[in-house]
Amino acid sequence: MALLTALGWVLPALAVNAAPAEPPDDLDALSLADKAPEAPVEQAARPWRLFVEGAVGRGRLRGSGGDNDFGIYRGSIDFRYDAPIAPQWRVVLSDRLDGVDSDGVPPGDNVNTLREAYVSWSRTEHQIVDLGRVNVRSGAALGFNPTDWFKANALRSIVDPDPAVLRENRQGTVVLQAQQLWSEASLTATVSPKLVRTAEVSTSTFALNAGATNPSNRFLLAGSWKLSDKFTPQLLAFGGNDDPAQWGVNLSGLLGDAVVAFGEFTAGRGQPLLAQALNQPAANENQQRAALGLTYTTGFNLSLTAEADYSSAAPRGDRWQLLPLPVQQQTLATAQALQDLPTRSQWFVYANWKDLFAPRFELSGFLRQDMDSASRTLWLEGRYAWQRAELALQWQQFAGAPGTVYYAVPQQGTVQLILRVYL
Amino acid sequence: MLSLDNARRFVGCAMVAAWLAAAGHAHAAADAQAVLAASDEVRNPPKPFSVTVNLLEYRNAKQTDANTLTVYSKTDDKSGQYRTLLRFAAPERDAGKLMLKNGNDLWFYDPASQASIRLSPQQRLLGQASNGDVVTVNLAKDYKAELLAEEDTADGEKQTRRAYKLGLSAVSPDVTYHRVEMWVDAASSRPIKARFYSESGHLLKTAYYRKYQPQLGRERPTEVVIIDGLDPSWVTVLRYSDYAWREVPDAWLQRDYLPRFKPG
Repeated sequence: MALLTALGWVLPALAVNAAPAEPPDDLDALSLADKAPEAPVEQAARPWRLFVEGAVGRGRLRGSGGDNDFGIYRGSIDFRYDAPIAPQWRVVLSDRLDGVDSDGVPPGDNVNTLREAYVSWSRTEHQIVDLGRVNVRSGAALGFNPTDWFKANALRSIVDPDPAVLRENRQGTVVLQAQQLWSEASLTATVSPKLVRTAEVSTSTFALNAGATNPSNRFLLAGSWKLSDKFTPQLLAFGGNDDPAQWGVNLSGLLGDAVVAFGEFTAGRGQPLLAQALNQPAANENQQRAALGLTYTTGFNLSLTAEADYSSAAPRGDRWQLLPLPVQQQTLATAQALQDLPTRSQWFVYANWKDLFAPRFELSGFLRQDMDSASRTLWLEGRYAWQRAELALQWQQFAGAPGTVYYAVPQQGTVQLILRVYL
Repeated sequence: MLSLDNARRFVGCAMVAAWLAAAGHAHAAADAQAVLAASDEVRNPPKPFSVTVNLLEYRNAKQTDANTLTVYSKTDDKSGQYRTLLRFAAPERDAGKLMLKNGNDLWFYDPASQASIRLSPQQRLLGQASNGDVVTVNLAKDYKAELLAEEDTADGEKQTRRAYKLGLSAVSPDVTYHRVEMWVDAASSRPIKARFYSESGHLLKTAYYRKYQPQLGRERPTEVVIIDGLDPSWVTVLRYSDYAWREVPDAWLQRDYLPRFKPG
């Protein structure tokens, strides 16, 4: 009885003083964190990145017959160095060598791309000058960047059609560039001088290819001003000896928690795409290009982008359909080299799903739907990443009836398995 | 029957009672806000600083990912909120990438493609941890605090602490979470743990602030353990090290500087 009485006093006291028990899941998590390994003492970012990549794949050419399949074998070395070399001085070197063995169209080749090689001098934190080959890139859109004028003839080797990879794996242009930064604005002036007598694109393996990157004297002025936390427009002006003045604007803004809206517009005089493809003399006309889109991100790490692309320089569908197949192919190749639209309008839809099925597995894909000829290209990639390696499976298809844009692509489709190892 | 005088007396008493209740409520609300602000001061150094964050991610008790990044942070004179630049150091595929956050003005920069891409607050770069979990945030600027209870609770070291339980409701649209419950140590103002909820009331995650050590002038948490609300076996451990006072020029904190960012 005395014991019960004592318990009667003690138990309520315990109930008052004891902390409410945490959910067992929380305790498990805290115990797990107790056992987590201590972080390395020093994990500063290295000034360089080096990886090797190997790919094997198969593709199929258009046409009937049993011998349309071809093989793809590729080995690549990719290097980037970016570090200060002295107070106020910084050097950037970025290079990639692709060795491709393929009996497809185009056949495999060995191509080195010197993407960037420049020095940068900071007079202050707010005034910076660059000299050398720089990947000068502009644009708010994902699939088509009208304001990215230096993209023309910048691609030497297309081993991956992902737009993010195309922006990276290209040769920069040799420039003298100065930037002035204020706390909520910036102004950049870029001069890209003519470095060759004739503007010829070289295909030799280690060519610096100045005929493609610096064919004439050109300039770019870009200024941005933060009008609010959610809106920082950028205005651009581009031109040169052989390039009529072009005006551009980049816009992006937030629509709620999950949606980013973006737009990119250019206007200026220029030649129609067909005249450029066929090397025919033609008068410059007023041209407009635009990309307008939305990116929506779900709560489960899926991002979806829908983008409408337009170029007044490209032929309409009815004009395209009347072109002979070799001319269509030549026009498509020119559009690809200039990274411009082959016909007047396209839809570009891009999806990226991180941690799908398993952590560090990423599914990406895009659809380019040509609106003028009802044809499309579809690309899908599944990629799994370890700490120092990545394994990817890529599939691409070009679909459309005879006479359409993507029917002019010699391949029907390709599939590739890619292994990348960081050294 | 209610006479006019009685009615007047009744109304007068009711008004006094209502005034006292309102005054009491306002006092409690002010206290709760002060408790929240004090806990912010424990988490956040008052001057520009840098810190290294190691993120370890676990699923079903197995480590599935690891990231290292450096955070550069300073307060915005206008909003009082932090402006933050994140630089990824590891793994190798992400090294050198940057994220800039000024409120909901979020930019991601990849040095390889030279592309600065605007992000929506919902876009996450670090698995379970939202961008808002990694950057420095003054909760007292974005949330209205209410004192829900004073109670004993277990902290991240499984010790019992006397704590204020605060209910936080968002007053700024630029927040990652719509509602938060937060336990703050009544004696030291240390944040102990927090539960973060979606707009629809679902528990999104629980965070424990622990391993307090002297850093930049006072005891600060050097580890945060985040437990997913839907899948409790999904755990992220954020470890903070190499705290240092660091000048963060305004020029660093704008989109057009991202390609230039190269800390010495």
